Amino acid sequence: MTLTMENSVGAPAAQAAPRNDLKFACRGVNVHYGDAHAIKDLAIDIEDRLVTAFIGPSGCGKSTFLRCLNRMNDTIAICRVTGDLKLDGEDIYAPRVDPVQLRARVGMVFQKPNPFPKSIYDNVAYGPRIHGLTSNREELDELVEASLTKAGLWNEVKDRLDKPGTGLSGGQQQRLCIARAIATKPEVLLMDEPCSALDPIATDRIEQLIGELRSQFCIVIVTHSMQQAARVSQKTAFFHLGHLVEYGDTTDIFNKPRDKRTEDYINGRFG
Amino acid sequence: MFGLMALILAVLTIAAYVLGRRRATAAAGGDLSVLHSRPVYHGAYAALLTFLAAFAAAAVAALVLRWFVDGSLNSLISELAPSLSSIERDLVRSDAAAISGGGFPSRVDELRQTVAARHGTLAGLSAVLIPGLALAAGLATLWTALKRVNVDFRARNLSERIVMGVLIAAAVVAILTTVGILTSLIGETARFFSQIPVHKFLFGSTWSPLSGVFEGRLDQERVGALPLFAGTLLITFIAMLVALPIGLFAAIYLAEYASPRMRSTVKPILEILAGVPTVVYGFFAAITVAPVIRGIGEALGLSVASESALGAGLVMGVMIIPFISSLSDDVITAVPQALRDGSLGLGSTHAETIKKVVLPAALPGLVSAALLGFARAIGETMIVVMAAGQGANFTFNPLEAVTTVTVQIVMLITGDTEASTAAGPAFALGFTLFVVTLGFNIVAQRLVRKYREAYD
Ligand SMILES: Nc1ncnc2c1ncn2[C@@H]1O[C@H](COP(=O)(O)OP(=O)(O)O)[C@@H](O)[C@H]1O
Ligand SMILES: [Mg+2]
Repeated sequence: MTLTMENSVGAPAAQAAPRNDLKFACRGVNVHYGDAHAIKDLAIDIEDRLVTAFIGPSGCGKSTFLRCLNRMNDTIAICRVTGDLKLDGEDIYAPRVDPVQLRARVGMVFQKPNPFPKSIYDNVAYGPRIHGLTSNREELDELVEASLTKAGLWNEVKDRLDKPGTGLSGGQQQRLCIARAIATKPEVLLMDEPCSALDPIATDRIEQLIGELRSQFCIVIVTHSMQQAARVSQKTAFFHLGHLVEYGDTTDIFNKPRDKRTEDYINGRFG
Repeated sequence: MFGLMALILAVLTIAAYVLGRRRATAAAGGDLSVLHSRPVYHGAYAALLTFLAAFAAAAVAALVLRWFVDGSLNSLISELAPSLSSIERDLVRSDAAAISGGGFPSRVDELRQTVAARHGTLAGLSAVLIPGLALAAGLATLWTALKRVNVDFRARNLSERIVMGVLIAAAVVAILTTVGILTSLIGETARFFSQIPVHKFLFGSTWSPLSGVFEGRLDQERVGALPLFAGTLLITFIAMLVALPIGLFAAIYLAEYASPRMRSTVKPILEILAGVPTVVYGFFAAITVAPVIRGIGEALGLSVASESALGAGLVMGVMIIPFISSLSDDVITAVPQALRDGSLGLGSTHAETIKKVVLPAALPGLVSAALLGFARAIGETMIVVMAAGQGANFTFNPLEAVTTVTVQIVMLITGDTEASTAAGPAFALGFTLFVVTLGFNIVAQRLVRKYREAYD
């Protein structure tokens, strides 16, 4: 079966984004690694069905804040998160929230492609199997195919689904990781510098893919490339030394930044 | 003599290094960048070459002189006492060496005194000649090496080539010794099987090889090794039953759940456990564990031998735990964090991540760890001698005394029977053990390759 893609790339990224539902609402977020204060009193609203980019110099806390959104920071012993983080109006750090279930709703793609050393099929089927999303082999086959198609990888791998995912090229591996994340049917996709280990052509392919996925997910992407942020995102947040300095429509951030630090960063004067 | 040689070698090598370096620096004339190789490589090249030449000269000189001294003493002895047999002549020679060297000769007489005097002269000569030749060869080499130093000389490449040669030589020695051991093993085993049919050895169920010895011939009916194979299998099986799950689970706990502090305390303790000599485990098994098992068995109304396969197997399992857990822990820790993050990021729990991602990725290493434990269990002798007995009972009952292949090899070789007779069965047993272990390794590696999930 083939999945028809909703045509969502029509609107150029730079156009002012329409108002969407809120996905995340965060207030007064602080993150500490031991004694180090990595995120300082941060407040942000992240909208559904568009791409939000986190930019800023290295070490400013982009990844740290991104990992708050699916509680991946829980796996770091010394990391402490405080504040109010709501997903669809629900506090994700409330005691009754199971971080494991949260991560099924908020998928993540990492900086370095990290496919499991299993077959391509088993990589994509990993999440669905864990969460029991399908009831028989046929449904699972369909879900795997649909996910790989959405990730733009199906045509390249349909004849070698039983070959190891680690044997693919870097760009293909990263798309496999995206397919793997999509397969658990998340609402949000977090991407931490997903192209930084890839060559320009593979990068272009992933950026195109992000544009296609935008209509179905809330996507948050960390990037160190301002061109990339300008190309793929509708909203941009500029981080500096643990502070959220400026947040707004990507066009505004890049054309008329309000803060001096943002302007300096965008003009390549530091970072 | 040895101290002097070591001193000469050390001085020559250091001098060669320093001189080579200095000469290269001088050749560069202030601008080091004109040199093809940096001065340290010139120094290393000269040092390596000089050391090897001096060492080789000493070795050759020692061999030649030894041959010459023995020949000279032998001819002197034949002159003075022509009637001596060659064995007596050797005895006189070694006594003479003892007299001149201040040792303990078996007898002192006029002949021995005379030979000792000659020995003393010749030994004194060797003591001077060997270091002298080494020094001369070393100096000559040093001189040629230094003469070759110039800006274009490729000391860097050449010294690497010398080092490669040394490494190859080491590898060849390792391979040759293995081949040598194997050849003698195969040869002796073939000789044994020329007297005893293979099936009598492999499938016979009575093991008492030396009781049937008559005029140096073994009794075919009493060299059936089946009881030994059964005993070995039984004990190894019990040991692995203890060591595999406990070792693996301990490793998973240490690598995945334990806090860093816990891990850094427990791991060294486990490693200490791995260093306890097996003799200690052996008498622990015999003196502490065996009576407990016996007591429990009797309370349950079972008849338990005072030496049992169960006791030996249990203690052997405990002995192997640290090997398996320590190795498995390393293997599990080596699985990249990125894989765990990927799995956790998809919403799987820690346990699911371990089961579905970490352990499969670590499988080849885990199998190696298990194999290592298995090899130790099969080869372990001390614990079995003390705790399982020596009686070759053909049984799979863990409560009875059994014996193993390795224990019987020890019994055969250390017993009073003439080595030429006892060695046959011992070699046959050793060879069988070797074949079984090798086969096991090959099969396991095949399996691992088939199911491996390579993450690099
Ligand atoms: N696992 C960690 N343990 C301790 N400190 C960390 C850890 N991860 C990040 N940090 C610190 O938190 C700050 C923010 O890091 P990070 O979020 O990775 O920055 P970015 O992704 O913007 O480059 C840095 O100062 C970094 O040193
Ligand atoms: Mg980062």
